Amino acid sequence: MGGHRQIEHTADLAFEIWGADLGELLQEGARAVVDVLTGERPPTGADSRDVVIDAIDDEDRLVRWLNEVIWLALGEGFVVDRAELETTPEGLRGRVFGRAGARDCIVTEVKSATYHDLSIARDGDRLVATVVMDV
Amino acid sequence: MSVHFERIDEYRVRIPRHGDMRVPGLIYADAQMMEVIATDKSPEQVVNVAHLPGIVSYSLAMPDIHWGYGFPIGGVAAFDPEEGVLSPGGVGYDINCGVRLLRSDLTREEVVDRLEDLSLALYKAIPCGMGSKSSISLAKTEVDDVLRGGARWAVEHGLGWNEDLDVIEEGGRFAGAEPRKVSDRAKDRGRPQLGSLGSGNHFLELGYVAEIYDHEAAAAFGLAQDEITLLIHSGSRGLGHQICDDALHTMIKASAKYGIVLRDRQLCAAPLTSPEAADYFGAMACAANFAFANRQAMTHFAREALQKFFGRGPAQLGLRLVYDVCHNIAKWEQHVVDGELRRLCVHRKGATRAFGPGHPAVPARYRDVGQPVFVPGDMGRYSFVLAGAEGAMRETFGSCCHGAGRRLSRMAAKKLARTRPIFQELREKGVFVRADSKATVEEEISDAYKDVADVVDIVHGAGLARKVAKLVPLAVVKG
Repeated sequence: MGGHRQIEHTADLAFEIWGADLGELLQEGARAVVDVLTGERPPTGADSRDVVIDAIDDEDRLVRWLNEVIWLALGEGFVVDRAELETTPEGLRGRVFGRAGARDCIVTEVKSATYHDLSIARDGDRLVATVVMDV
Repeated sequence: MSVHFERIDEYRVRIPRHGDMRVPGLIYADAQMMEVIATDKSPEQVVNVAHLPGIVSYSLAMPDIHWGYGFPIGGVAAFDPEEGVLSPGGVGYDINCGVRLLRSDLTREEVVDRLEDLSLALYKAIPCGMGSKSSISLAKTEVDDVLRGGARWAVEHGLGWNEDLDVIEEGGRFAGAEPRKVSDRAKDRGRPQLGSLGSGNHFLELGYVAEIYDHEAAAAFGLAQDEITLLIHSGSRGLGHQICDDALHTMIKASAKYGIVLRDRQLCAAPLTSPEAADYFGAMACAANFAFANRQAMTHFAREALQKFFGRGPAQLGLRLVYDVCHNIAKWEQHVVDGELRRLCVHRKGATRAFGPGHPAVPARYRDVGQPVFVPGDMGRYSFVLAGAEGAMRETFGSCCHGAGRRLSRMAAKKLARTRPIFQELREKGVFVRADSKATVEEEISDAYKDVADVVDIVHGAGLARKVAKLVPLAVVKG
């Protein structure tokens, strides 16, 4: 079962994210970001967008994916609710679902996911990641 | 990782070279400040930076150092043009985040009973807050002109005075900007945001000159006791962030390509001689120019608001720009190292250029006293105006501190603030705060920061910059 929580970081904000596999981890990462962006009042919706993300490994996939979620929200007003993602040698590709035209739902700015102190490690039957966010 | 420190003197602590460090670390801190610094991972980050190829002399840290990503915030590092690297993490996400100060002929007496209305007038004039948009509508075709022109573009479009350009670092326009190296996504993020404050620790602060320490420098900067000042702290908004994001992805690949071993991925870098570095430099200069234009546009909005509020023209208000200085940037500069004049690429991340008296890059009107340096504190206490000194030229590649430095995380600050009537506390101190988000004010309470007076005393004592004046806030606009 995936989940996420905020952890303290002097500079800004960090998340601990967990899931059974990379796919669930990425979904939980998006939820963590959207929770902060929307003040834990994420909208749902059936709008969709195709995404293609260039990344070199799983850590890069996580950071680039979270930055895509941020870009979709802040740049296009599309708040991600869920995603169907496929890992490819080039990175990720798939389709995200959520609400378009949802700028009014965004109450806090999260600017970027960073590579600092980034980790993804297996802990028993879970994959656990730590990612520091620039807010 | 535990870091070993050696105290050199009252204001300097060395981290001796060990392992694969290419240079030692040097932190400017007294014993009390060092106790605070040692509680987070920033000294470890000083060590990590010291591992980068081509770093010269020291991996430096100012007394406001705190835990950042990759480079510490408050870090300075200079790199050799042949052996060295360019690192987007050494510049930061908010490229050319910086501070400008305006002075005025208004006195504290004239505003102190009108702060409620005055703070509201400024709040209405300056777009601020989460994803804030400006009243300036940039056409797609105009974005490249802003990225090339910086503050000059703004002045040419009626957003300021020609004389403003004389007192902005680099004249308000970085050379080498290449808009074709900036992604469409970055341009789209920036287009609606020119002339907006943003959120987080950015602010506009109306204050007064509470104390003067160096009368000659204060006079040169146009600062007089009890006169009203305006500080603006902002950067390159979403455009700079996107350029940094784009560059990090490229530089991670470049680090592997050029065999650069990274102790933290956020330190990813490319040789200064590489095409990847050239591309980032061209894009970074664009973001720097966007930030200069952004602060220039907000200056114009603030001038208009104050003219309307007081019913006086610009000449009567005397709202002249003192200086505008960046604190997140990488620049080519010449510095003397071991008696030899060398061209170096200086990274300042959360550190301010502080060139001393006589330096040709210092505007002629300040050349006898040194470059103005602004060190904002927190909204409940004070900020400082300094002048760059010879010590900075000898030791820190002409750099000094940029602020108070956080001591509490945003989460911890919010937790503390929610137990207290923060706005009322500030009003009791005589500070009117207007904010787009209560959460931002909670994150930015005084308790979240070190006392900036302690930070400034260290750079003054170490000879990096001289104290000139203390500014006390009266009205603050936050995102």
